[in-house]
This record gives sequence, C-alpha cells and structure tokens, in this order.
Amino acid sequence: MSEPTSIVSAYSPPFRIVSKYFIAAISSFVLLNLFLLLNHSFIAGHHFSPKILAITHIATLGWVTMIIFGALFQLIPVVLEVKLFSETLAEIQFWIYIVGAIGLVYCFWTFTTGMYMDISAILLNLVMYIFSFNIIMTFTRVKNWNITGLYLGGAIFYLIVTAIAGLLLAINLGTPYIKIDHLQYLSLHAHVAIIGWVSMVIMGVTYKLIPMFTLSHGFKLTFAKWAFWLINIGLLGINTIFHYKDTTFLYYVFIPMIALGILFFLIQVYMIFQKRMRRKLDIGLKFSSYAYLMLALTTILGSFIAFVDYENITNLTIIYGYMIIFGYLSMLIVGQMYKVVPFLVWYHKYSSKVGLEKVPLLKEMFNEKIALYGFYFMMTALFGSLFSLTFRNEIGLVISFSLMFLSSLIFSFNMVTIFKR
Amino acid sequence: MITKDTKISKMLAQYPQTLEVLINYSPNFSKLNNKILRKTLASRVNVEQAAGIAGVNLILLLNELNKSINSDDAVTVDQGIAEEEMINTDKPEILKNANPEKIQKFDVRPIIDSGKDPFLEIMAKIKSLDADEVLHLINSFEPIPLYSVLEKKGYDHWTEKEGNVYNVFFFKTADVDEQQKEEIETQQAEDVEYENMIELDVRQLVPPEPMMKILENISKVDDKTVMIVHHHREPMMLYPKLEERGYKAVTNKIEDNYYKVVITKKR
Repeated sequence: MSEPTSIVSAYSPPFRIVSKYFIAAISSFVLLNLFLLLNHSFIAGHHFSPKILAITHIATLGWVTMIIFGALFQLIPVVLEVKLFSETLAEIQFWIYIVGAIGLVYCFWTFTTGMYMDISAILLNLVMYIFSFNIIMTFTRVKNWNITGLYLGGAIFYLIVTAIAGLLLAINLGTPYIKIDHLQYLSLHAHVAIIGWVSMVIMGVTYKLIPMFTLSHGFKLTFAKWAFWLINIGLLGINTIFHYKDTTFLYYVFIPMIALGILFFLIQVYMIFQKRMRRKLDIGLKFSSYAYLMLALTTILGSFIAFVDYENITNLTIIYGYMIIFGYLSMLIVGQMYKVVPFLVWYHKYSSKVGLEKVPLLKEMFNEKIALYGFYFMMTALFGSLFSLTFRNEIGLVISFSLMFLSSLIFSFNMVTIFKR
Repeated sequence: MITKDTKISKMLAQYPQTLEVLINYSPNFSKLNNKILRKTLASRVNVEQAAGIAGVNLILLLNELNKSINSDDAVTVDQGIAEEEMINTDKPEILKNANPEKIQKFDVRPIIDSGKDPFLEIMAKIKSLDADEVLHLINSFEPIPLYSVLEKKGYDHWTEKEGNVYNVFFFKTADVDEQQKEEIETQQAEDVEYENMIELDVRQLVPPEPMMKILENISKVDDKTVMIVHHHREPMMLYPKLEERGYKAVTNKIEDNYYKVVITKKR
C-alpha cells in the first residue's frame, strides 16, 4: 500500500466537522492569552491556585485537545486508510465537549467545587469515551497498520486514564477521599495528559506530517519504535508507582526512560528533517522545528524538576508548565495549522478549479509576512516570560504576555483569512 | 472469427470484450491495460505472437477469445504451431565466439515498467551498432514482434530464458541492401503511432502543487499527445480530478518515491 502523502483522501470526513474544532480551538488560544495578560498578577506562586488551574484547562481542553480532536478526525482516515466509524458522533461530541470544558473552566475560576464541577468532569469523561469508542471502532476496520496507528492507540489509552484521574480529582476537591496526596495525583493527571495523550498523538502524527510537508523519504523509523516502548513502559511504571508512598528508586528508573524516549523521538525528527528534499523551511515548518527544540529544553527542565527538591523555587512548576503549553505545544500547533488549514481549505475550495481559472498558491492563502512577525513575537514572549517568571519581574511579564497575545491575534487573523476564502 | 494471424489491435477494436479475456487468461497480458502500451505494442502483434510472448497455449487462447465473441467457427489451427518451441536451445556459433566487448547490453525493463514502449529506443540502438556488434536485450517478456522487424534489417536472434528474464541476442547475419533498408524504416515509422509527449517533473513540489502543475498543463494533452509526470508518489487525489475532465492516468512505480504517471485523453 502506498504511503499517504497528502492530508486529504477519499476517506476524509466532511470539512465542516473538522473546521468546527479548529475554529473553537483557535478562539480558545486567543482567549487563553487574553486571560493570561489580564490576570498576570495571579501567575506566580504555587501552581495549585484556582486561576492557574482555570487557565491551564483553557489551554489543555480548549486549545490543545480541541485541535487534536479536529486534526485526528481529519488525519486518522488518511493515515490509516479507513473511513471514520461515525461522523455523527464526531459532531455530537463537539457540543458536549464545549459545555463540559466551559463548565470546568468556570468552576475552577470561581472555585465552585461540588456538583457543578463534578458534572463538568463527567461530561468531559463522556466526551473522551465517545471519542475513544469512535476511534477504536475506526481502528477495527484498519487493514494496514503503521507506526502512527500504534502511537494513536497508546494515546487513546492515556486519554481515558487522564479523564478518569481528572474526574477523581474534581470529586476530591469537593469531598476529599483520596488517601494519597492530592498534588501527587494532580501531577499524574498532568503528566499522563501531556506525555501520554498529547505527546503520543503529536509524535505519531509527526512521523507522517513532517515527511509529507518537507518531502522527506528514505529514513528508517527505528528510533520511533524505540521511543514508543520507552515512553510507554516509563509512563505505565509511573502510573503504578504513583499509588504508593515510597517510590524513589523506581522513579529513578522510569523518569529517565521517558526522557530517553523523548530524546529518541527528537533524533527521529532530526533524521526526517535531514532527509528532506525541500531545504527551505516555510513559516509552518519554522514554528514546528522550533517547537521540537522547545520540547528538548522542556524535557531537560522536567527531568531536573523530577530529581531536584525545587520547593523553594516556587515558580519552577509554572515555568515548566508554561514551556510545555507555549514553547512546545502552541508553537507546534501554530506551525502545523499553517500547513494543514491552508491545504484543507484550498482542497475544499479550489482543487476542482485548477487549470480552469486562476487559483491561489498555498502561501498566498494567508499573509506570510505577518505570520513571520507572529513567530518572532512568540519566541520573544516565550523567553521573556521565562525570564520574568524566574526573576519575578512584573513589567517583563506584562510585555511578554502582550507579545504572546499579539502573536495569537496574528495567528487567528491569518486563520480567519483562510477560512473565509 | 479470430485467427492466429489476427492483429491484437484490430481484435481489441472490433471486440473490446476480448481485452478482459486476455488479461484474465494470463497476467502477462495485464500490460495491455496500459493504453499507451496497448496502442503501440498491440498494433504490431498478432494473436500467435501474443500467445508466444505471454507463454500460453495458442489454441486454448484462441478458443477463449472466440468463445467471448460467440464465434461458432471451429478453431482449426495446426496443433504443431501451438507446440512449437518458441525459444531456441542451441547457442549459435557466432555468439559463442563473440568478443564480450562487442556485446551491447540494453535492459528495456525500466522503460516497459514506466509505461513506455521501448521500440524506438531499441531501433535507435540497432542503428548505432557496428556490423560485428551484438545487441543483448534484456526484457521481462519475449519480444517476439521484434524478431520479424529486425529480421528484415538482417538481424538474426537467439533467446534464452533465465527465471522471468529473457536475454535476447540480435546479431547480423547478412547484409541488407541499403535501399531496401530505408523502405523498411519508413514502413516502420508509419506502423508506430507517434505521439507528442509533455514531460513534467513534480518531485520537488509539495502538495497541492504537483496537482496544480498537472492540471494547469492538462489542456495540452489531446489525442496525439501524452503527458508523462515524474512523481514522488502515486497521486491518488488526482485521479478523480482527471476523470472529471475526461482524462485518465496510469501510474507505474519505478522505485521507492519515484512514480511515472502517464496521462492520456479518454476516447
């Protein structure tokens, strides 16, 4: 079977389903940055505070996971050569998800524990079950498995673990029952979400999209396979030992496994970039390649946090979280969206007119120049925020958050331009 | 009724259903699915030669073909022809004694695989040979039509089969008078349907640019013109677009990440 070499195929779902997720996610990204800017004074101290929890969930649910849902509905059929099990479920899921996500963020913001928070968490769980059911049913029809399918299978598993852990945490806030430290459980929830769910998806999809966008071939996927097993064994190990109290030794085994797995992933990405036929990196690939560098930095920071008693550097967890959400995830998503969305819209609107009338090139679909400014703003904001958080510099933080907000506005302006075509 | 002397092209034009019979009969005929190959190869080959090329029994094939066109006529082909050994066994003296440096190797399989007819290239090669040189042709099927063409040019042949590979040696036996030679060449030129060819290399382009480039140039493809696209993949999404506009494509994988797409206008 030939390699999928385009993000559209005969199996693709209707464009309206995917675009709905993308538009909701892009709106969340702007909102996220606006909230950060307006509430910059709360972004300090211990990470376990209502405002930070609310903002984090705008990022993870509204922005990151929303984009992933839309992207996977588009990409799974292409990569695994199957039709989605149910497009209706993909549609229904969206609306429950919106209600659940807004509900949860509101409850965190006002710190309304109890029934409303629990209901939101239950709705979100429901969404994750619907999604997983839909994807697993889709998987049953797959004839040609590949490495991406393997990663996505893993991702689904961790999505469910994340959702259940999140629900238990939400209930625990209202009626405490967890015997072990709530924060230890929170760390489990966060790491399973970021490494298990989000990163598994990102890694699996990277192996397909980056070669596609850079015209790279002739590389072996050996590192990708090793990365998968290292990260999975590490994560499962951490999941197990988190339930016990004295876990220092195993900690020293599993954390390095995960870090090594991420390193292997990055080596694989490097190999793919090395073999590319298109030497020049356009704006989408520029964002993406820097995102992979940020992942490397974030992994180093994460490994450091895991082994060092950092309690006296209070902002360190916030810095770590900021690096994950903005340095790694947002840069990558923005980069990939600059590749995926123009193509989808182009295919949808123009592909049948080529040769008959004048149609735009992909890079003419949006303003590439301001996108480049968006890139520099985001990089500046990223390092500015890290600096300001480390040295507790309020003015620096306001400037950095403003730049990040500006960058998100440029991104959404470009995306709206594309969608309105 | 179809006889051993019926030209394949004529047969296919008159009874299109026979294409399916041929393809079902032997996978070796599946190359006929490719319109370009069909047009160029089939016009030179009769049923007897085709059976030889595919290595199938002529009488049984004729039976099948005639059945498909409901011909009641009995098939009366000399049994001897069907059993005739197509491949010579004794290596001719002239080849045994040939200086290895005088043997020109020419592997036409990549050309066939890319959906093109190597006929013109073989003829060019023959033309460039010195009188004492031998052409060693390597192919995936026995090029029976060539034998008679080259015979007229004074070349004899000797063929040996190694697995799925046919090694055919053409060597000069007698001089042909120059004028006669020219006559043959003009006749050959008329036999082959010459077509204009547009070549596009889209291997350095990222989607959707290959599709754009192909569709922007598609209007130049007409009954006499064929488009050959060098592609890094099989353009699955292009096919429906071509279909919509009355074109069809055949893609051949040459190697990993190199595909040749032959696009023609539908008739």
